[in-house]
Amino acid sequence: MDNTMYVALSRQMTLRRELDVIANNISNSDTTGFKVETAMVRTDESDRAKMVDGPKSLKFVIDDGVLRDFSQGALNKTGGTFDLAIEGQGFFKIQTGAGERFTRDGRFTLGADGRLTTQGGDPVLGESGEIVVDPEQGAVTIAADGVVSQNGEQIGKIGVFAFDDLSSLSKDGDNLLRNTSNIQPQVSTAARVRQGMLESSNVNSIDQITRMIEVSRAYESLARTIEGSSELSRRSVERLGRVA
Amino acid sequence: MQALRTAATGMSAQQLNVEVISNNIANMNTVGFKRQRAEFQDLLYQTVELAGAQSSDQGTVVPTGVQIGGGVKAGSTYRITTQGIVTPTDNRYDLAIEGRGFFQVLTPSGETAYTRAGNLSVNDQGQLVTDDGYQIQPAITIPQDAVDVSISKAGQVQVVKADAAAPEVAGTIELATFVNEAGLEAVGDNLFMESGASGPATTGTPGSVGFGQILQGYVEASNVDAVSEITALIVAQRAYEMNSKVISTADEMLQAANQVKA
Repeated sequence: MDNTMYVALSRQMTLRRELDVIANNISNSDTTGFKVETAMVRTDESDRAKMVDGPKSLKFVIDDGVLRDFSQGALNKTGGTFDLAIEGQGFFKIQTGAGERFTRDGRFTLGADGRLTTQGGDPVLGESGEIVVDPEQGAVTIAADGVVSQNGEQIGKIGVFAFDDLSSLSKDGDNLLRNTSNIQPQVSTAARVRQGMLESSNVNSIDQITRMIEVSRAYESLARTIEGSSELSRRSVERLGRVA
Repeated sequence: MQALRTAATGMSAQQLNVEVISNNIANMNTVGFKRQRAEFQDLLYQTVELAGAQSSDQGTVVPTGVQIGGGVKAGSTYRITTQGIVTPTDNRYDLAIEGRGFFQVLTPSGETAYTRAGNLSVNDQGQLVTDDGYQIQPAITIPQDAVDVSISKAGQVQVVKADAAAPEVAGTIELATFVNEAGLEAVGDNLFMESGASGPATTGTPGSVGFGQILQGYVEASNVDAVSEITALIVAQRAYEMNSKVISTADEMLQAANQVKA
């Protein structure tokens, strides 16, 4: 009898986590370059939820992973010189204190020494290292292939780095992603760099609210299942205990 | 429940967004004002389960380990430096910049500030000053006996005196440009200061390569677009509501758990 409760509880635990993921999506519905996530669950194959004479197929449910949707977010025009968006697959490479990180958030700026950096001050790595702008040389233009030019001369190239296997990327916060595998990304030639644009979050709010309602209702119905199961055992104890 | 705290970060981020939008709307009629935008970043992720050996397709939707995000934070507020509409005023000391560049202003502390607000006037000594009485750099003095002043697109200030047939050059207005205008630090009163992010100022004559032109008798209106601000306000309000909806849903779920009779 307790199996009902435990199985229902295992699902409730995963539902809570699903709500956490949805909450993160909704709070980041306005975050530049954010990619929407969906919590995934699977059957727990370790054969635990079973009574001696109970159904053999009874299984718990467990968190499986997060499905990250790397599809393109809408491009918003900002007109900023160092606002860059990637159209297509790939990431900007950032040199942080903790190592190389990848991002789709192209709100770059200039450091005091003319280096192209993130808003946090970490340098942006182009195809051949850091990109240094000479502030005296006037307007900077960045072409769709990533070539940075100033005064008609090429001063660097913004690299768009693409991964064959996006699942090895782990989110680090601050819109940064970390490569957890040893496989190095390749410079993408298919992706375009758009100057004066930013990629908005690809969260679809309506979708998320709908999913949230689903999660909430599923959680409630499981609470009722647990209650029903407990009611059942209470009654059986009552009946069976009654002297005939 | 993490969802409660996550949604709370979302609400405070949207609150900041509304504050930025309301500042834009409040400055809709401020000469030379450039609208701002709030930008957000995601917070730290808690890795519950590492990305393991999971099969993946070569598509854009990929499975990874369980990572639970903690919400959102305000990254920066951002200035959008597009050209505002140039509106005629017929005032001879109203100057608008069409294109890149800023007027240079000498502040009382002796520093140079930069502005796009060209609603200038002349002080008691005949110097060209801003609304607040700060001198334009390089200093230009209009002679007391001048009957007319004309300022060319290249910034040359010519005065016509009553007793002279030919106009006289009183000075030339210079503009300053920056590699990264969005990096300028706003100090209020329509003034900006140079910062590390903006890079040093490059000065030059208006109309030369990389510099805008000066239009006499016009001012540059703020680049705030009322419709897009109101739209952004609606989006921010709805996003705020959605986050509050997450809080009430998380609360309902906790309530459902609490009401289970043992």
